[in-house]
Amino acid sequence: MKEKPKAAFYWCSTCGGCEESVVDLAEKILDVVAAIDIVFWPVALDFKLEDVESLKDKEIAVCFINGAIRTSEDVHVSKLLRQKSQLIVAYGSCSHLGGIPGLANFWNKESIFQKVYKEAPTIQDETPILPQEETEINGLTLTLPKFFNTVRRLDEVIDVDYYIPGCAPNPDLLLEAVQLILSGNLPPKGSILSPNRNMCEDCPLERKEEKIQLQSFFRPFEIIPEPGRCLLEQGIICLGPVTRVGCGALCMKVSMPCRGCYGPTDGVQDMGTKFASALASIVDIDDDQQFMKLIASIPNYSGLVYMFSLPSSYFKRKNMEAVKNE
Amino acid sequence: MAESIRIGVYICHCGINIAGVIDVKQVVDHAKTLPNVVVSKDLVFTCSSVGQNTIIEDIKNEGINRVVVAACSPRMHEGTFRNAVEKAGLNPYLFEMANIREHSSWVHPDDPEGATEKAKTLVRMAVAKARLLEPIEKSTAEVTKKVLVIGGGIAGLQASLDAAERGLSVTLVEKLPVLGGKAALIGDLVYSEKKGWQIAKELIEKVVTHENIRVLTRTTVQNVSGAFGDYRVSFVTEPRYIKETCMHPEKGEEVCPVEVPNEYDFGLTQRKAFFKPFEGAYPPTYVIDMSACTKCGLCLDSCGKETIDLDAKPLEFSEEFGTIIVAAGYKPYVPTTGEYGFGNDTRIITLSQLERIMSENGPSFEDIGLSNPLENIIFISCVGSMEESDNTDARTYCSRMCCSSSIKNMLKLRELFPSSNIYFLYRDIRTYARREEHLYEQASKSGIIFLKYEASNPPEVSINGKPSVKVLDTLVGKRIQILADLVVLANGMMPPSDILKLRSLLKFPCSPDGWVAEAHPKLRPVELPSPGVYIAGSIQAPKDIIESIISASAATAKAVVPIIHGRVELEPLVSYVNEDICGACGICVSTCPYDAVSRVVLQDGRRVARVNPRLCMGCGQCASACPSAAMQQKSFTDEQIHEMIEQLVV
Repeated sequence: MKEKPKAAFYWCSTCGGCEESVVDLAEKILDVVAAIDIVFWPVALDFKLEDVESLKDKEIAVCFINGAIRTSEDVHVSKLLRQKSQLIVAYGSCSHLGGIPGLANFWNKESIFQKVYKEAPTIQDETPILPQEETEINGLTLTLPKFFNTVRRLDEVIDVDYYIPGCAPNPDLLLEAVQLILSGNLPPKGSILSPNRNMCEDCPLERKEEKIQLQSFFRPFEIIPEPGRCLLEQGIICLGPVTRVGCGALCMKVSMPCRGCYGPTDGVQDMGTKFASALASIVDIDDDQQFMKLIASIPNYSGLVYMFSLPSSYFKRKNMEAVKNE
Repeated sequence: MAESIRIGVYICHCGINIAGVIDVKQVVDHAKTLPNVVVSKDLVFTCSSVGQNTIIEDIKNEGINRVVVAACSPRMHEGTFRNAVEKAGLNPYLFEMANIREHSSWVHPDDPEGATEKAKTLVRMAVAKARLLEPIEKSTAEVTKKVLVIGGGIAGLQASLDAAERGLSVTLVEKLPVLGGKAALIGDLVYSEKKGWQIAKELIEKVVTHENIRVLTRTTVQNVSGAFGDYRVSFVTEPRYIKETCMHPEKGEEVCPVEVPNEYDFGLTQRKAFFKPFEGAYPPTYVIDMSACTKCGLCLDSCGKETIDLDAKPLEFSEEFGTIIVAAGYKPYVPTTGEYGFGNDTRIITLSQLERIMSENGPSFEDIGLSNPLENIIFISCVGSMEESDNTDARTYCSRMCCSSSIKNMLKLRELFPSSNIYFLYRDIRTYARREEHLYEQASKSGIIFLKYEASNPPEVSINGKPSVKVLDTLVGKRIQILADLVVLANGMMPPSDILKLRSLLKFPCSPDGWVAEAHPKLRPVELPSPGVYIAGSIQAPKDIIESIISASAATAKAVVPIIHGRVELEPLVSYVNEDICGACGICVSTCPYDAVSRVVLQDGRRVARVNPRLCMGCGQCASACPSAAMQQKSFTDEQIHEMIEQLVV
């Protein structure tokens, strides 16, 4: 019997949603398992890192890595998998763009630890302890991975062949990717395995006016949108125009605005600045003061437009003097 | 096969303009180090024929296929160099300019080293862009051989006549029921044996009998679409409601019970809803003002039911035109109630109203209840003009015709009432035009008293039986009080009330004071930024009759050129859509100031945005606004701009 191609799944700093999306293949996962041999999948199968280390270089045909690069462990395992794999697919927003963990780039290690281990309302410890990379207990040394100041995308630490976008990705994209890879009919390296088209194409909501002219913005809870009508046109900031298709416009189907987890189309280098110029183009206010008021009505612009892509933006992170070169 | 890129870089000294600050040799040497640069030279004046020939020779002999000139602003010489490049047989859009004069040597004269470094960066960026330049083909489109003139005042009439005389077909639309504009309401003019209404009448006669001109009164422009050379304009014509079969319309006027202020007398008199605008008006027919008519039906009874149709419907139609001349005129400033006592006493009137009284076809002093003869007559200048205010929309401008018009009328009043005392309370006397200074001299000699006031201390008008005017004469430093039989407020000119509508239809900008901003105040004074659209007369700024007629002839001279050429060259650096990426979010549609982008449905049912290259002016707003990089502008693609930024930050 011909040996099946080997595949691996790994999670770096992630929420686990991407793993869920693999499971979301439901019975189709049997087709995947029938076609490939899974050699490493920490969330589901009991393999150890040693098992990967014992493989020959490039023995794994394809490895799907989700999650952002937050710790030294993420870097270590990613590099190992790169060495052992023919193809690396960055799976999901975090490895593709930096994702939600990337929003931590508005802070650094020190301020995050301060908040999480000292100031959080659930901390009751009188003398709180911060995580240490090395701890001595009973003459033994326990180690933890290093926590970086800055969250990075996967392709900032290893060479990535393909990307599957989404938070979490549409399981169909995974299935298509597996079939594509098995077929050997590979797209150019660096391709994002979801059509290079603008989200508005897939959106079921309809535009009423030929031109969008906004005088105010609303957060989704502030108004009840007219059903079936374009949200942006109603003043709800929707990132659909700056986002790539692939999800099937899930959020808009339930009248929630797009938050851009699939990232932009090819050629757009920075979602936030691109969306700023788009948004400014549809604001119909001449008065400077009124305009500034409108801008102030968006509570956290950077957090909104870089919800999934801060580490991929021009600025990558908020500049802090305390951040040292890593 | 991809051609190999061979870039020629030329650094201009611009005499000492650039070389006086920037070390040109250093910039030349820097350019030599850049990829694909095969020639790097400095030239004393690159725009000279010697400079241009150097480029042409290098293209021919060195196989240069991209050209970068680092010199002045592209606004200055981009065209010059594109032509030179084209002469050498290269596509003119394989040329890129770096502005190291305005952007470096001129602004950093105290920092030669910094200026040199900046020049190097600008050259590096231009070379990076040049590497990605693509040839662009120019295209042309056919021109509809018809001119539209909006406005039937003297400027519109003159423009129509000039275009028609050149053999072109002209449509003249006027929103009012009469032609001739404000000039038709004026009698004597400064230094003209012909009166205002006579000049208007002569022009009107020539226009309405001209075989090439179609005149439509009571007609307004509703919409303008299409593009330069082929503007599609839709109109609405309001009916006159009185048919030509009505033999005695004066009976209808007589029985009409509705009276409203007569706008043709600037509110001095009343008119009926069923009315004839003024004596000598053309067309000389009666009309019903439907905004005032109560449809009581009395006119039907006296004129005959079959001759009047109060339910006549407006006529809507559309037509194509090659070019458009806008001659929508001005409106006189109307003082607010109480401003210099205006509205509080019939003896306080505006200069526009006085012009009607002095005109043969207007009311007399007796008609408006003023005693005859008048003894003390006071003119106050700059009412509604020359405002001293920080408000951006203040009328800070001089209305230019009020000084001469006031003095002209003072001299006439002096003839009518030889024993009267006439005072001119003025801020500056601006009898600026040819022959007008003489008029001022004549007025001084005839005993008219000139009292100068300051804007900060304007005359005060109160009513004490008669209007009483107090003023501080700043020349003698004395406070003077005069009881007047007539106070004339020399009201200025304002942009016409429909300027905002025209502005949105024809996409032209206005200055903060509200007047139309021409394409360039000196180089293109009668053109608007939208190609094929021109301005004539006082819609541009306060003008007298002579200036209006000159500008009308100038605008027509420009407006007929594209039609005589027959084809227009289209803007080559237009935007275009990558339809594979576009999802028709419509941000570009919303932001395009020229309505050049629209959403279309493809054969497969997909919606995408599409640019009409005839309408696109190449402003690039859509390309920068497009959130998915589907919209690109030729010669300013994202890729090219990103490449330039990369070079800026290395």
